[in-house]
Amino acid sequence: MATLNIVQAVKRALDEEMARDERVVVLGEDVGKRGGVFLATEGLYQKYGPDRVIDTPLAEAAIIGAAVGMATHGLRPVAEIQFADYVFPGFDQLVSQAAKLRYRSGGQFSAPMVVRMPSGGGVKGGHHHSQSPEAYFTHTAGLKVVVPSTPTDTLGLLKTAIRDDDPVVFMEPKRLYRAIKEEVPDEEFTIPLGQARIRREGTDLTLIAYGGPTVEALKAADELTKAGVSAEVLDLRSLVPWDKETVLNSVAKTGRALVIAEAPRTASFASEVAATVMEELLDQLMSPVYRVTGFDTPYPYVPDREYMPTVTRILNFAKKALDY
Amino acid sequence: MIKDTWRFEPFNEEPIRLIDEEGNWIGEFDLDLSDQELQELYRHLVRGRLLDERYQIILRQGKTSFVAPSAGHEGAQVGLAKAVRPGFDWIFPYYRDKTLLATLGYPVELLYAQMMATRLDPNKGRQMPEHPGLRELNVFTVASPIASHAPPAVGAAISAKIQGTGQVVLTTFGDGATSEGDWHAALNFAGAQGAPIVFAAENNRYAISVNFEKQSGSPRIADKAHAYGFPGYQVDGMDVLASLYVAREAVERARQGLGPSLVEFLVYRYGPHSSADDDRVYRSREEVEFWRKKDPILRFERFLEKRGLWTPEAGEKLREEVKAELLAAEEKAEAAGPVPPEWMFDDLYSTPYWLLEEQRGILLAEL
Repeated sequence: MATLNIVQAVKRALDEEMARDERVVVLGEDVGKRGGVFLATEGLYQKYGPDRVIDTPLAEAAIIGAAVGMATHGLRPVAEIQFADYVFPGFDQLVSQAAKLRYRSGGQFSAPMVVRMPSGGGVKGGHHHSQSPEAYFTHTAGLKVVVPSTPTDTLGLLKTAIRDDDPVVFMEPKRLYRAIKEEVPDEEFTIPLGQARIRREGTDLTLIAYGGPTVEALKAADELTKAGVSAEVLDLRSLVPWDKETVLNSVAKTGRALVIAEAPRTASFASEVAATVMEELLDQLMSPVYRVTGFDTPYPYVPDREYMPTVTRILNFAKKALDY
Repeated sequence: MIKDTWRFEPFNEEPIRLIDEEGNWIGEFDLDLSDQELQELYRHLVRGRLLDERYQIILRQGKTSFVAPSAGHEGAQVGLAKAVRPGFDWIFPYYRDKTLLATLGYPVELLYAQMMATRLDPNKGRQMPEHPGLRELNVFTVASPIASHAPPAVGAAISAKIQGTGQVVLTTFGDGATSEGDWHAALNFAGAQGAPIVFAAENNRYAISVNFEKQSGSPRIADKAHAYGFPGYQVDGMDVLASLYVAREAVERARQGLGPSLVEFLVYRYGPHSSADDDRVYRSREEVEFWRKKDPILRFERFLEKRGLWTPEAGEKLREEVKAELLAAEEKAEAAGPVPPEWMFDDLYSTPYWLLEEQRGILLAEL
């Protein structure tokens, strides 16, 4: 068993998939000799050469748009957007081309591609290096959206995303890139999309999280244990498709839920999960489902950590749910 | 056949023209097309024009909801279609390319099926009219957002280059597209990669109502290729032979690994931007008549007539033949019947998704 952090897991997934399938290519800004600004593609250029690890011009529309064309022509491109905050010049390519290609062509064409992007805050980057723009993508039919929070999940989910026949937006919580290390099996494995992971079992309250704040959800669960409250922690891992069944089973058991995410609350994916739980489980709920999210402001440079759902914020809402 | 000499100089001051308005060959090289090939070009020009006219009729009959008139573009489109290898090369067209696609071999009944959203449409009626696409012919399904198909076209060309397939990508667009960021991003990337692609601007001088002088400070779209490091040519796009020969040269350059070209075809659309537009508010009838006199079909008829390949009677006979062909195709497309509503949930993802099955249930309960 090797010990990997998340960025190493990304690199291993890319390397394994490039070795397995020569159609897999990587493209983006600085992904070549530099190995990416976060070093997620380190060594791949040297190993696979400039035709498979393509340094692109600094233009996200070209990166994502070219990936669409490569994908429909037969390659399996993995595009890197340097920061999720920079995806917007390529947004039209994701929304108008990648997401709709299979549908608008009646299934004749498809775009089997992955767009990787480091997302989320906690790195003192201000609003243009800290956002969590997943709701734009989950709102767009035709895209799959994956947000892992551990090295093992990153490795298994990214490999699945690369093999998937649909466009997948793969959002990597950059503040966890090197913050979490764990032992990862040496043998090859994949993890299916659309399955939440029960990170911790509990009976009194379900903390539904994904991406970066999964860490805070687990810490909050520890604190709640000390107070005699048994919290179950779910990591959604995949937002499109999302695992409604696991979520409903858990909340049916606990009767209370918080949905925890870094993105601003209004029209967020957390709102979608909360609404679904309340629509389907109203008579089994003992309190409203609260959304514990980032604030509806741009992500400020200062305060940096306090923008995101802190352990304190999660505990405050947990108290509200338990006292309801 | 590796060529090291080329017929046309890029960044030409005057549009490249091989037939003058009286129908005389003015090329500085010998025409190397057979009489049969010339007559085939003529047939495609006429077929494209009649198809465009027929679309106006099905619009009035309520069988379709939208038409993007293409009359005036036929010279460029037939030339482009005849410059590529159908079903081998990849085509990323825009919404005014019916003559290009019909000439390429896109079955006309399938074009009609897309126009009328019947079951025969391989795109399953998902898009508004004038947005066809056909996998077996490598015709990428048209998207409305202007120039959004340019970066994917470049991606396909890079893929062809990486895989060494020998394929060339052709992408077409109007003059307005050349202002979009995606267009510049695409040409820039293609230049950096030396991708085998031909960018074909069908410059009809208007992006809906905005004329080219307001679109760009450049006198020519072709000049923009300078900035991306590859040749740009301006062609009289109402001269089918100039269009064909320049397009062929651009395709051949790409096929030989010499990278992209930008070819600007000067054309004019006689009709409004679309069936939802009224062009009388932004341009005079005199202007339209001026351009109609340069019509690609009339000019090619004069050319053929001088060679003993055309008479008014032969032209009329051909028109009647083509009309019958188009009508049969229209009837076949229509007979397939409308796309059923429950198809709405198919082809979104490659894998089933509970969310869509739930929503399919909501829809079925309403039907």
